[in-house]
Amino acid sequence: MKIRVRIKTVNLRNIEFLIEEAFTGIVRNGLMAFASISTIALSLAVLGAFVLAMMGANHFTTEQIDRFEIAVFTVPGAAKAKADALADSIRKIEGIKDVSILDRDEEYAKFKRERPDFESAGLLGNPLPYALRVRIVKADQLTMLSTKIRALADVDHVNVGQETYKRVVALANAIRAISFAGVIILLITTAFIISNAIRLTLYARRREIRIMQLVGATNHTIRTPLVIEGIVFGSAGALVAWILLRLGGGYVVHSAQRITPMFGSFSSGLSGAGLAFWLLLAGAVIGAIGSLVSIRRFLKD
Amino acid sequence: MFRDFGFIKPHNIVHPEIPKHQHLSPSRFASVGVLGYNCPREKSVMIYVKDVSVEYANGVRALKDTSVTISKGEFVFVVGSTGSGKSTLLKLLYRDMLPTAGTVIVDGENVTAMKPSAVPFLRRKLGVVYQDFKLLPQKNVWENLAFALRVIGTKPKEVHKRIGEVLELVGLTHRCDSFPNQLSGGEQQRAAIARALINNPTVLIADEPTGNLDPTTSWDIVQLLEQINIRGTTVLCATHDSQIVDGMKKRVIQLEAGEVIRDENKGAYQNSES
Ligand SMILES: Nc1ncnc2c1ncn2[C@@H]1O[C@H](COP(=O)(O)OP(=O)(O)OP(=O)(O)O)[C@@H](O)[C@H]1O
Ligand SMILES: [Mg+2]
Repeated sequence: MKIRVRIKTVNLRNIEFLIEEAFTGIVRNGLMAFASISTIALSLAVLGAFVLAMMGANHFTTEQIDRFEIAVFTVPGAAKAKADALADSIRKIEGIKDVSILDRDEEYAKFKRERPDFESAGLLGNPLPYALRVRIVKADQLTMLSTKIRALADVDHVNVGQETYKRVVALANAIRAISFAGVIILLITTAFIISNAIRLTLYARRREIRIMQLVGATNHTIRTPLVIEGIVFGSAGALVAWILLRLGGGYVVHSAQRITPMFGSFSSGLSGAGLAFWLLLAGAVIGAIGSLVSIRRFLKD
Repeated sequence: MFRDFGFIKPHNIVHPEIPKHQHLSPSRFASVGVLGYNCPREKSVMIYVKDVSVEYANGVRALKDTSVTISKGEFVFVVGSTGSGKSTLLKLLYRDMLPTAGTVIVDGENVTAMKPSAVPFLRRKLGVVYQDFKLLPQKNVWENLAFALRVIGTKPKEVHKRIGEVLELVGLTHRCDSFPNQLSGGEQQRAAIARALINNPTVLIADEPTGNLDPTTSWDIVQLLEQINIRGTTVLCATHDSQIVDGMKKRVIQLEAGEVIRDENKGAYQNSES
C-alpha cells in the first residue's frame, strides 16, 4: 500500500515542480540564501585551509623522510666486479627502490678538492672504497634493510643517519596526530555551524511548510525542494570557499617562499580541480544532511 | 455574478489517491458499531463527531463531549460567541489536531485513528478557508493557487485551466499577479476561498469566510458557497455574521463553552425561543 503511494508521488512531472519550487524558494528568500551561503563558505574555507595546511605538512615531512638513503661502502681494495656483485645482491632484497654505484675517481677528485691537505700528505693512488647509494621504498624499513645489507659479503660499513631519521619520523607522526584531531574537531564544528544556518533558513519558512501540509502535501513533497535547496547552498558555499582558498593559498605560499626558500617544496599535493571536487562534495553532502535533519523537526507535528 | 460552475464535477465517492483500506466500506462502519459507537450505517453521513473532548496544553477545555452528525450535501452554519470552540471543532475535521477523547469520521475515514502518512490524502478531499487565510506570503495569488494544485500532482495544463475558472468565480482575475500583502482583507479572503475550491473538495470547511467583507460582498460569498453546495459539496461554515445566517435559513449548530446548545434546521443566528 505504502509503496503504491510512493511511486505515485515520484513522477517526472512532480520532480520538475519540486526542483522549480527549490529555485523559486532560493530567489524569493534572497537575504536568507546569502546568509547561509556565506556562513557555509566561511566555515568550509576555514576547514579547507586547515586540511590543506595539514596535507602540506604531511607532504613536507614525507618528502624529507623519503630523502633518507643508505650509504654502503665495500671493504678497502675491493675490485669493481665485487662492487657490481654487491649492488646486484642488494637489488634482490625486497623493499629496495634502486642502487647506484658512485664513480670512485670522481669521488676522489671531489675529496681532494675539499681537503687539499690530504694531497700534500703524499697519499699514493685512490684509497677510497666503492660506495653504493641505496634508496628504499618505505622509510620505516630503513633499520631492517640496513641490517640485512650489513650481513652481505664485501660490506665494510653501512651508514644510515639513524638518529636524524628517528627524530624526523617522530616529528612526522606528531604532525599527523595533531592535524587529524584538528580536522575531526573542525569537521564537527563546521557541520554544526552549517546545519544551524540551514535550520535558520527553514525556521524563516515554517509558515510555508505548515501551509504545504494543510493543502495536502506529503512529507516527501515538502522535503525534496528543501533538500535540493540545501545541496545548492552547500555547493555554492563550497565554490566561494574554493575561490577564497585559491587566492589566499597562493598568497600564503608565495610569501612563505620569499621568507624561507625551503618552503619551495611546501605544497598540499592537491590540484586545484581536486580541491574543488572535495569541497563541492563536502558542501553538497553537509547541505543535504543538514536540511534533512532540520526538516525532520518541522515535519514532526 | 457567479457564472460558470462547469469545473465542479459530481463527487467521486472513491477517491483515487486514498489508499483502499481507508475507503468507506460497510464492514468498516459495522465494526465501528460493534465497538459500541452508535454510528449510522448509511453512506449518506459525511461528518460524524462523537463524544469529542479537546483540552489544550494550557488546560483550556475547548470542547466537552461534543457530538455532531452532518449528512452528505448539507449546508451547516456553526455559530457561537468568541472562544466557544468553533475553530477547534473545524480543526478536528482536517486533522490539524487530535481530540483528547472521542471519534471523528469524515467521508468514511476515521480521522482519529488515521496514520500520519494518510493525513495529506484526507486534506486533499477537503477545502478549508482559514480564519487567518494562510496564504503563502512569498507567492502571488496565481502561484498560491497553482501551488495547492501542483503539490498534489496536478498536470500544468490542468492547473492553468482550473485557476482561470476559480479566479473568475471569486472575482479576483484582475489581481492574480498581486502578493497577499498587496491585497485588501476582503481580496485575501477571496483568494483563500479560491484556494479552498480549487481542488473541487468533497467538504468545504470555512472559518469565518466573511469576516472581512462588507455586507454586499459577504452576501455574494455566501451565495457562492450555496452554489457550491447545490453542486454536491457539503459545506460547514463557522460565522459571527447574523445577517447571513438569518438570510440563508440553513441548519444552525450553536456552541457555547465547548458544548452544542442548539442544533436547528432552518435556524437563525439567535435562538428562536429566546
Ligand atoms: N492553541 C491553543 N492553545 C490553548 N488554548 C487554545 C488554543 N486554541 C484555542 N484555544 C482556546 O480554546 C477555546 C476555543 O477556541 P476556538 O478558537 O475554538 O474558539 P472560536 O469559537 O473559534 O472563537 P472565535 O469566534 O473567536 O474564532 C478558547 O478559549 C481559546 O482560548
Ligand atoms: Mg475561531
